[in-house]
Amino acid sequence: MTEKMSIRMSGLGGQGVVTAAHILGMAAYKDDLQVTVNPFFGAEKRLAPAESYVRIAQEPIYERGEILYPSLIMVFHPHVITMGKSYTMPFFDGLEAGGTIIINSASALDLSEEERDNLAKLDAQVHYVPASEVAMGVSGTHLSTNIAMLGALYRIQQRPSLDALESAMVERFGGSKFVASGSTAALDDAVKEKFAKVSQMIEKNLEVIEKAGESMFQQTH
Amino acid sequence: MLQQQVRSPDYLFFEAEKKKHFLSGSEAVREAIRKANVDVAISYPITPQSESMHLVGDLFAEGYVKEYFRGENEFAVMSSVSGAAMAGVRVFTATGGPGTMRAFEMFPVWAGSRLPIVCAFLTRGINSPLTIQPDTIEMAFLLETGMLMLHAETAQDLHDMLLKAFIVAEKTEVHLPVGVFADGFFVTHTKEILQIPDADSKLPPYDPHCAPVPPMDMESVPVRQMRDPFVMKSNFISYAAHASWQQEIEAAQERSRKHLERYLGGLVETEHEDAEVLLITSGTAVSQSREAMRLCRQEGLSVGLVKIKSIRPFPSDELRRLAAGKYAVIVPELNRVGWLAKELKARVDDPRRVIGAPRVFGGMTMPAHLIVDEIRRVLQ
Amino acid sequence: MSTRIVSIAPAFEDVMPKEYKELVENGPYGKDYKVTDLGKYKELIEEHPLCAGCGLALSLRLVLGSLPSPEDTVIVGSTGCSALVFPQVGLHNVHSLFGNQNAVASGIKRALSLRFPDQVKDVVVVAGDGATADIGLDMVMQSWFRREKIATIMLDNEAYANTGGQESGMSMEGTVMNMAPKGKVFPKADLPKVAEAAGCAYVAAASPSRPGKLGKVVRRAILIAREVGPTYVQLLSPCPTNFKTKPSDTVVTIKAREKEKRFKQYEYISDDARSFLSALEDGKRSEGKQPEGKQS
Repeated sequence: MTEKMSIRMSGLGGQGVVTAAHILGMAAYKDDLQVTVNPFFGAEKRLAPAESYVRIAQEPIYERGEILYPSLIMVFHPHVITMGKSYTMPFFDGLEAGGTIIINSASALDLSEEERDNLAKLDAQVHYVPASEVAMGVSGTHLSTNIAMLGALYRIQQRPSLDALESAMVERFGGSKFVASGSTAALDDAVKEKFAKVSQMIEKNLEVIEKAGESMFQQTH
Repeated sequence: MLQQQVRSPDYLFFEAEKKKHFLSGSEAVREAIRKANVDVAISYPITPQSESMHLVGDLFAEGYVKEYFRGENEFAVMSSVSGAAMAGVRVFTATGGPGTMRAFEMFPVWAGSRLPIVCAFLTRGINSPLTIQPDTIEMAFLLETGMLMLHAETAQDLHDMLLKAFIVAEKTEVHLPVGVFADGFFVTHTKEILQIPDADSKLPPYDPHCAPVPPMDMESVPVRQMRDPFVMKSNFISYAAHASWQQEIEAAQERSRKHLERYLGGLVETEHEDAEVLLITSGTAVSQSREAMRLCRQEGLSVGLVKIKSIRPFPSDELRRLAAGKYAVIVPELNRVGWLAKELKARVDDPRRVIGAPRVFGGMTMPAHLIVDEIRRVLQ
Repeated sequence: MSTRIVSIAPAFEDVMPKEYKELVENGPYGKDYKVTDLGKYKELIEEHPLCAGCGLALSLRLVLGSLPSPEDTVIVGSTGCSALVFPQVGLHNVHSLFGNQNAVASGIKRALSLRFPDQVKDVVVVAGDGATADIGLDMVMQSWFRREKIATIMLDNEAYANTGGQESGMSMEGTVMNMAPKGKVFPKADLPKVAEAAGCAYVAAASPSRPGKLGKVVRRAILIAREVGPTYVQLLSPCPTNFKTKPSDTVVTIKAREKEKRFKQYEYISDDARSFLSALEDGKRSEGKQPEGKQS
């Protein structure tokens, strides 16, 4: 890769927006890329807006904190857009020209004319993925919606590598090395119980990644 | 728990092989404390510090830290670590923002009692209104408490500075508390790549007899000894005792310079110091300044960077020399009051050249573009 | 501590102060003195700057004369009248800040337990009523909740005496004092009951009007804290200066309070503490003697 990826992930608390960023960051690290990951700093609450940021590059990364000018925006829930559940309004604020947007929705959202105009001016590539449906269908739980979102990202970027994503997931869900904050850890337990075995969970997640990639569709402005 | 071998500080800091890790700032705290041979660690929750002390708790459970508990509030925690330090063991704690303010009365006592406590201050804004977001305003309050103050830019800094802090703090001629500051969230909750030595080595244990004042353990002559010189009696000797003690703390801070220079490789770090415009700052404002400098230099603007690593002692001579003859010195800060700009203005030959901007506070990210704008404005 | 530590190097014998020499030759370190032995040896306290007839001074002298192992006792004080005395006491003692004494003591105790696992190190908090019941109450209680093995002794003069006689949580209801210009509007805090509920293994209220009893409860408190858990002793120690009583009448004042049923001696012993005490006081373990491995 030559270009720096500046990814902003927006979703609702409990959807795994921070976890997705950690997995993506760990995968980039395993691919020997430069990477930093940080969440938006708010009180952790279910269904409240949640955001996280991933910077991936080959050159050293200096800047920290929120990504104000992302090259990629991932929207984990339609409410981020339709109900303004976001720290960033409108949802594409700051997107680089020609940037990419991935939205979790089974059907294209009814964006306003103004939004469509602005997206057109930005030459934004808007992709949809039915991430929640894919998660439910493959693994029987909404909790892997975030993995489906990563699947969509992989489909577009082909990086970090699938191998790296897999081993990042092993480390995240299987290893004891990862440190999650209190309530995230509790959620992890719920996830683990559902799958009984980590290996089975990883397998399912890889299937989620594949299926998510296959079910994507694009919206033209 | 790994079998650990005691190695010299020099080995751990300069010689040991370093390996690559992808860690958050909180995890970097854990990895530093794992190797720091800490006796007692006392915790109290406050965001964004809590995770660090959870992880230190894990170290206690694993056996790397000998004693650990959650105190009842930050004032009590800082009191309890002072008791433990007075009784002759190596201690560690951490806090931030409102926790720092709650504990405040203890900080001058630490210095006054010559306690080599290492405390991580993982900074956050101060109420009111309520905020849990990053902000370095608490550092303004701590400048004159007698503690040494190191400011980390990255998780790597945080890890390295914590380990080195113990060794500098415990030098007989210093023997003062060290605050290692890192910007909350921007360091604590950011995962980044670090190079650190393995945990099969650890620092030598604290030797309570290196203290310039005796440990409170009833193992030395007990008559009329207090670690906190209690000089409330109103007579000339008590005034003189108090006055000279304060000067001694200041002198001890000064004596830490040579150790900090050696271990940190200087109190400041520079890049393109010959440039016309210098960005001078500390903490994560340095990271944002690096990006701003990169962007500006791409455009051919003459911009350099000075990273201040030690706030107390303050690198006055270094900064006076670096700022001399510059077209402008820009001081970006993550707080409203601009304490670093004030510190600089008080020391450089031409304070009018020091520009206390941009300032971002209340928890917002400082975009590199904001610094670039300031540089452009100055150069117009 | 080895008693050798206090001995004087021969070269310095002629320049050492008289009171130090006395402490070396005839002090209480390593001895087993009780209150009844006062007057027979050089006491730990060397003069003091408190007022004539001060109840605190009386209590303090008796407390220091009752320590089971003075050579291994660290005292943690707090701001107040008693803090003025400690610089003149032959023990390691800490004055940190107003109210944080039990938090400081918790740290000291844990550190000493790490450094001297096979040696007795008694950590005793001695502080006033303001420090214990008002400004420091949270830290006092939390140290009890945590079952810190420290003895907490309150010198209760029912006021902030050192700052000029203000009402405290331990003042009697109705008392007119500074900051309670119309009289205190709520009752004296029942700290012994609080201590019991908060997990103290031993709680006592006593006063210097009965020195023998005071000595006994202080000793018990320190020994139980050493082995069982936190302990609390409250010593009524009237302040003639602020309450404007005759300095010579301090003990009379306490006795009058007792007669009026406005003060009573009190002792609570938990089951664990009781079995420890009976083992100790039945002679199975000799009180005050150092347990095995203690001699250094």
